[in-house]
Amino acid sequence: MGQSIAATGLTHNPAHRRSALSTRVTRLQNGVGAWLFLLPAVAFFVGYQVYPLIRVLWISFTDYQFLTNEPAHWVWFRNYAEALSDPLMWASLWRATYFTILFLPGTIVLPLLLAILVDRVTQPRLATLYRVVLLIPAVIPSTLVFVLWKWMYNFQTGPINHFLVDVTGLFTQQDAPQWLGGTALTLPAIAVMEVWWGLGYHTIFFLAGLAAIPKDLPEAARIDGASEWQVFWHVTRPRLAPVMMILVVLRFGSAMAVIDEYLIFGGFNRETPTYTWTMFMYDEAFKTGLWRQGFGAAIGMIGAVAMMIVVVFLLRIFRPRD
Amino acid sequence: MSEAVHGASFAPATVGVRKRRKSWLAQNRGAIVRHAVIILFLVIILVPLAWVGIMSIKSLPDAMRGNFWPKRFDFTHYSYIFEKIATLPRNLFNSIYVTAGTVFGTTAIAVMAGYALVHLKPRGGPFVIAALLVSLYFPVRVVSLISIYEIQHFLDLINSTTGLILPYITLNLAISVLIMRSMFQLVPHELFEAAKIDGAGPWRTLILIGLPMVRNGLVVVFIVNFVTAWGEFLLCTTLTNDQDARTLPVVLAGAQGGLGQWSWPNIAAVYVIVVTPGIIAFIFAQRLFFKGLAEGVIKG
Repeated sequence: MGQSIAATGLTHNPAHRRSALSTRVTRLQNGVGAWLFLLPAVAFFVGYQVYPLIRVLWISFTDYQFLTNEPAHWVWFRNYAEALSDPLMWASLWRATYFTILFLPGTIVLPLLLAILVDRVTQPRLATLYRVVLLIPAVIPSTLVFVLWKWMYNFQTGPINHFLVDVTGLFTQQDAPQWLGGTALTLPAIAVMEVWWGLGYHTIFFLAGLAAIPKDLPEAARIDGASEWQVFWHVTRPRLAPVMMILVVLRFGSAMAVIDEYLIFGGFNRETPTYTWTMFMYDEAFKTGLWRQGFGAAIGMIGAVAMMIVVVFLLRIFRPRD
Repeated sequence: MSEAVHGASFAPATVGVRKRRKSWLAQNRGAIVRHAVIILFLVIILVPLAWVGIMSIKSLPDAMRGNFWPKRFDFTHYSYIFEKIATLPRNLFNSIYVTAGTVFGTTAIAVMAGYALVHLKPRGGPFVIAALLVSLYFPVRVVSLISIYEIQHFLDLINSTTGLILPYITLNLAISVLIMRSMFQLVPHELFEAAKIDGAGPWRTLILIGLPMVRNGLVVVFIVNFVTAWGEFLLCTTLTNDQDARTLPVVLAGAQGGLGQWSWPNIAAVYVIVVTPGIIAFIFAQRLFFKGLAEGVIKG
């Protein structure tokens, strides 16, 4: 349809109107005009993303503290040396990794399973209904998801403990699980919440990947006597690999850098499992003492670089092998 | 369905109804299991939301008891929260204000950038695209927090609700520009050429011809930015100090449930008020949203 519109548009406008000179002038005007259109995006991108990152890198080499009038000094790698020799840095990096290990498999495998099931629903109305309900959590803003699950996990009045204590009697009011507040259960509890949140959104991702596979491929495999599992493993899975790569890399990134959830569910106790490198950075930069932002910036940089190393590694693993 | 009819037609007419029904079950076992599993997941998605919805109309004793279905309903919590929680109207206004600013700001910026990147082909365009893509993989939001605070402090925007809009626009800028870019790639270049030869300037071309063609992508960008701005926590809690200046979800996250103004049904009522608009808007826009998602996000 788009092509036909384009064709009629051209026939109305004879090409001889354009001369070489006017083409050159318009091209120059275009160059300026194009950048005018691009300018707001670039301004925000540079002002609030590129510059801040460079600035943080700079700060991380100084002994900058926010709540003091003393000028900052350039200290080279002293912040990095201090952070790397602090066992808390390593513990906090491990905690973030542990959360990622808890979260990542569920948030890939469950949506994949669901997508394969929903993909086979042929009644158009049901298929739409399923998709819409699946996507509802994705349109609930982050903080509201956390508030919701803060209730679900509430020790006394939360429905989960109500179910475990009053309905099934598996626990008593005394030994009921304490989900939130930085206990050993907090990270698994947050992981379950995150899987719930991303379930539908990731399913839609996989559904789009499945829709791109020609239907006769799995059909042909079935006629050749392949089992459903073989069809999935040899036909569907390789073709979903690009979608899966994007999801794994993006979710790895968001899981390692979680902070809002820990601020809401955890707190600033350095011994608790929710005190990850992001919390360590936040604590040093905005909570403790004179706000040692130079040290905090170094912690943030160490965390980010550690993540980037894994991302590059993941991109290499999933690189298409042709 | 057609399979069942087909199978039944082979059965001799003398065979009883019972046997035919059994064969229907047997033949559709796969479909039944499939729907059952899907519905189980849908229930898992909906139960927490239903729980809050019912909580907001429970009487206080029922709220403390924890039963799903209350003995007595109480619909007064909705009026109570507006009368008794002093900052609530203010926080709700802040949320609407910040979200509207962010959504319109980002959408306008992303449409202009996407259009320019595809159809005006500026020098350095590929470099901009590459930079935006890389930023998606880097934890910019967390790591840059220290200098974002510094910038806002320098601009005297700490504790300012309006000031939040600036970093909020940047949160989803990269993905929004990339979505709009892949949307504009679907619009044939000749269309814009034709408009230009007819004498329309780039603005007129973009608004009159470009915008209607990228409608689905607009819906996606709108919803993505709405969800982010409406529920943003980290920047709001770091860059503002007073409850007056904060958005409603952030105040809600800080509220300790218990008795008084923040009793459970009251929090639930506030919750329903903040969560419903987004869900309803999404359900109405879902057709365009899914189309846009398929065109802009997944192909891009």
